[in-house]
Amino acid sequence: MKSLDPRVNRLPKVGHPGQVEPKAPLDQLGTFEVFVQAKEGKPFQHEGIVHAPDLEMAFVLAKEAFTRRFTCVSLYVADTRHVYVSAMTEGNTSAWDFINLIEQQPGNKDSYEIYYLLRRGKQHQHAGTVQAAIPAEAMSEAKKLYGTKLVYNVWAIRTADIRFTSPEEKELWLTLPEKKFRDASDYKGGDKLKEFLERTKV
Amino acid sequence: MYGGGNTFEGIKTDTLAQEDPVKLAEFEARIERGEKIEPTDWMPQLYRKQLIRMIEQHAHSEIIGALPEGTWITRAPGFKRKLSLMAKVQDEVGHAQLLYSAAETLGKSREQMITDLITGKSKYSNIFNYPAFTWADSCFISWLVDAGAIVNQLANAKGSYGPYCRALDRICAEESFHLKYGHHCVIYLAAGTEKQRQMFQEAINRWWAPMMHFFGPSDKISAHTEVLMRWKVKMASNDDMRNQFLDMYVPKIWELGFTIPDPNLKKNPDSGRWEYTEPDWEEFKRVINGYGPCNKERLEVRRIAEERGRWVREALKKPSAAYVTPLA
Repeated sequence: MKSLDPRVNRLPKVGHPGQVEPKAPLDQLGTFEVFVQAKEGKPFQHEGIVHAPDLEMAFVLAKEAFTRRFTCVSLYVADTRHVYVSAMTEGNTSAWDFINLIEQQPGNKDSYEIYYLLRRGKQHQHAGTVQAAIPAEAMSEAKKLYGTKLVYNVWAIRTADIRFTSPEEKELWLTLPEKKFRDASDYKGGDKLKEFLERTKV
Repeated sequence: MYGGGNTFEGIKTDTLAQEDPVKLAEFEARIERGEKIEPTDWMPQLYRKQLIRMIEQHAHSEIIGALPEGTWITRAPGFKRKLSLMAKVQDEVGHAQLLYSAAETLGKSREQMITDLITGKSKYSNIFNYPAFTWADSCFISWLVDAGAIVNQLANAKGSYGPYCRALDRICAEESFHLKYGHHCVIYLAAGTEKQRQMFQEAINRWWAPMMHFFGPSDKISAHTEVLMRWKVKMASNDDMRNQFLDMYVPKIWELGFTIPDPNLKKNPDSGRWEYTEPDWEEFKRVINGYGPCNKERLEVRRIAEERGRWVREALKKPSAAYVTPLA
């Protein structure tokens, strides 16, 4: 392989050109759901996923993938396997209709974070926190609190399964005001263009 | 950045006859109302298959598109340009991550998508199979290839599949920086020395044909295109997107005193449409089938990167890991 790019020419020879072994399952690791808080006081919102080996790495990668442009004050992540999900509904049918109210369950209570989808096509939003012994009870408790709202999908995640941003970590998103090279507003070419057009006017 | 002119597989429409007619009618009514389809909703097999194909091609284009520009990071003129180009290339790779995730919600694993890219089974935008000879080539890509991508992405962001639309909204917001940055670079070349102007003119001469190919060949009006447009998978015809691009950017190129290497390029004042020499579609096919100037290099760079990263992924893998399809 002869490239214009000297760095490509310097690449070590690995394996055989053109020969690829199909990737093994989990080569790209598991997935984690990412939630972002845009402003203080606003609810957290689901933004998407990252692939990562564990919660801690998921947090780091989520910061890179979703918050490169100071679009948030806080974020958190949870393993996709730890999200308890209701049925998806549409029209006037609420997701609450498919969630059963159940009795208080025996055992220690954990706290669960509840998310709902208020509009199809939009993202899940944090609704609040409930106490429950099992996920089904968390869904039931959520229905008691928010059941009058028309929602299309409900998620519950045990609070202990979430990797939150600590107060000290919030400075991750503090950047010097003069560092604007990621912003479109830092590329004003208007004056240069005007000067050029005047100079070359026939 | 984005690969326009998606290639859609020619699928016989009789596959539709095998779908449940009641569910199909509900599905179409939902799209007709302007509602989004979400991963757990019922959808026809053809819809799922074509969306995976389109989103996956888009993701691969972001990854491969980072290569011709990434080449120029170390040689970009000055610290500021290096920072900007690095940020842009990071964005492109980030876009690929968002898009792979959206495709995964439809049931194709990331492992399979990467394998299909490297073996050449999946396609990506043709334009990245051409080399970036000079800094001006990198500026052409940042300004005009990204501009073409935005035309495409803004249309697709109004499509019917929820996770893809949400990824595109996020991507479009970042593309505005790429476009301004690219234009800024080009203005500086245009207002510079004779040599700088010549450098950009030569870049236009090299990239104009691939740019016209970018949006893909004229769509044949087939039952197939019709169904994809009805389902809001394909949002605008290739010719319409090419015309919109020419309308927005040809005047800007001319304004800077550059020429475009097509003597037949002009806007028809009656129809309002641009006329141009028919692009060489045989060349387009040749390149898409793997015989462009850089196809081999691009895939080989990807393959080596995957091989060299293997031990890192192995070391990180937890025995308890198990894959589940991401949620939204």
